[in-house]
Amino acid sequence: MKTPPEDHDLIRWLDGEMSATELERFTARLETDSALKAEAEFMQRMCADVRSALPAEMPVPYGDFFNSQIQVRLTQETVGSSSVLTGERASWLDWFRLPSFVTAAAVAVAVVTAGVMIVRQPSEVGNSLVLSSYAPNGKVQVSSYQSAEAQATVLVLDGLEAIPADRKIVGYHIDRSEMNTEMAATTLYGSGGEVLVVSTDSRNQPRLLAAAMTR
Amino acid sequence: MPASTAPDSGEVPDSDLVKRCQAGDTRAFDALVSRYRGRIYAMTYHMIQNETEAWDLAQEAFIKAWRALPRFKLDSSFYTWLYRIAHNVTYDYLRKKKIQGDGEFDDSRTEHKAAAGAETVPHGDDAPDTALKNAELGQRIHAAIAQLSPEHRQVIVLREVEGLQYEEIAATIPCSLGTVMSRLFYARKKLQELLKDTYENAT
Repeated sequence: MKTPPEDHDLIRWLDGEMSATELERFTARLETDSALKAEAEFMQRMCADVRSALPAEMPVPYGDFFNSQIQVRLTQETVGSSSVLTGERASWLDWFRLPSFVTAAAVAVAVVTAGVMIVRQPSEVGNSLVLSSYAPNGKVQVSSYQSAEAQATVLVLDGLEAIPADRKIVGYHIDRSEMNTEMAATTLYGSGGEVLVVSTDSRNQPRLLAAAMTR
Repeated sequence: MPASTAPDSGEVPDSDLVKRCQAGDTRAFDALVSRYRGRIYAMTYHMIQNETEAWDLAQEAFIKAWRALPRFKLDSSFYTWLYRIAHNVTYDYLRKKKIQGDGEFDDSRTEHKAAAGAETVPHGDDAPDTALKNAELGQRIHAAIAQLSPEHRQVIVLREVEGLQYEEIAATIPCSLGTVMSRLFYARKKLQELLKDTYENAT
C-alpha cells in the first residue's frame, strides 16, 4: 500500500514537478513495481484525455450579446446609484432570456400581422399609453390596460389565431449609438421569418419600434 | 499563473487598454472582454458544467474586474489578474450551491453539449469512428468531472486546463503545496474510478 508521500510522487511525476534526481529514482521504481507502472500509465493516458476534453478556450454562446450586456451594466453603474432606476440592476437585455419575452415578441408580431394600428402618445416617463386602437380585421377586438406596479402596458387581442408555442427568436443584431452607449436598437429574427426592431424606453423596458414579416 | 495570450502584432497591448479602462473608457474594456471571454468562459464552464450558469458567471467576473480595475496596479498580467477574479467568483458560487461530488449523479449539471468533447478532437485526419469514440470519451470525461467535488474540480481545471504549476495553484486557491498534491491525487483517483469502465471497454 502506498503512503501519502508515495501518492505525491506519482502526482509529481505525472505533472513534471520532480527534480532530475527524484525523476531518476521514481523511474527506477516504475521498472520494479508493475502495479505502480500500470497505474502511472493509466493516469498519464487519462490526464492527456482530460486535457483534450477541456479546452482552455471555448466560443462564448452569443458572444456579441455577452459583450453588449456587460456594456449595459457598466453604463448603468457609471450612471450611478442616484439614478431613478434604482433597483433595476438587471439589463433590459435580460428580457431576451425570459421565456415570456419570446411570447411577448410573438404577440407583437401578431399585432402587426393582424394589421392592428395602435396610436401611442410619447409619455413623459416612458410608459406606453394606448389612447386608441384600430383593428382592420373586424373579428379582432383590441383592448389594453396599464399596470403602474408592473410598469407595463398590456394589449389584449381577442379573436386572433393561437400563437404557436414553439415560436423562437433565432438571431439578433444590436446597433449601438456611437454617441451614447446606453442607446441601442436590437433587431430580432424569428424562426418564422418575422423581424422585430426593439429599443428601450426611459424606464429601460423593451419598446417595439418596428415589426415585419420577411416571408 | 495562467499565461496571457499575447496580442497579435497590431493589437493594442493589454496594458494600454487597462489604462484606458482606468480612465473610464468602456470601449477599451469591451476590447478586453472580447480578447479573454473565451478563456474565462471555458474556465467557468469546466467548473460549473452548465452553459447558462457559466455564461452568467463569466459576465459577473468581467463586471467585478471592471469595478476593481481602478485598484489594479499592472503588477501582473491583466489575464492573470482577471483569471483570479473569475476563479474566485466561480468557486464562491460553487460553494454556495454546495455541490458535492460525493452525492448522486445530477444530470442537470452535465447538460453540456455533446460536441464539447468533439470540439477538441483533431479534425480532418481521424476516421469517423475514431472521431466518434473521441467525442464519446470527451462526454464521459465531462460527466466524470461533474461528479467531482468543487475542490477537486478546481485543481483539475487549474492544472489540466490552465497548466499551472503547483505553487501557482496553491497561490490561486489559496492553500498549501501539500493540499494541492493531495487534492490532485484524490481528484485523479476519483476520475480513474469513474472512467475505468470506459477505458476497459475501449481496449
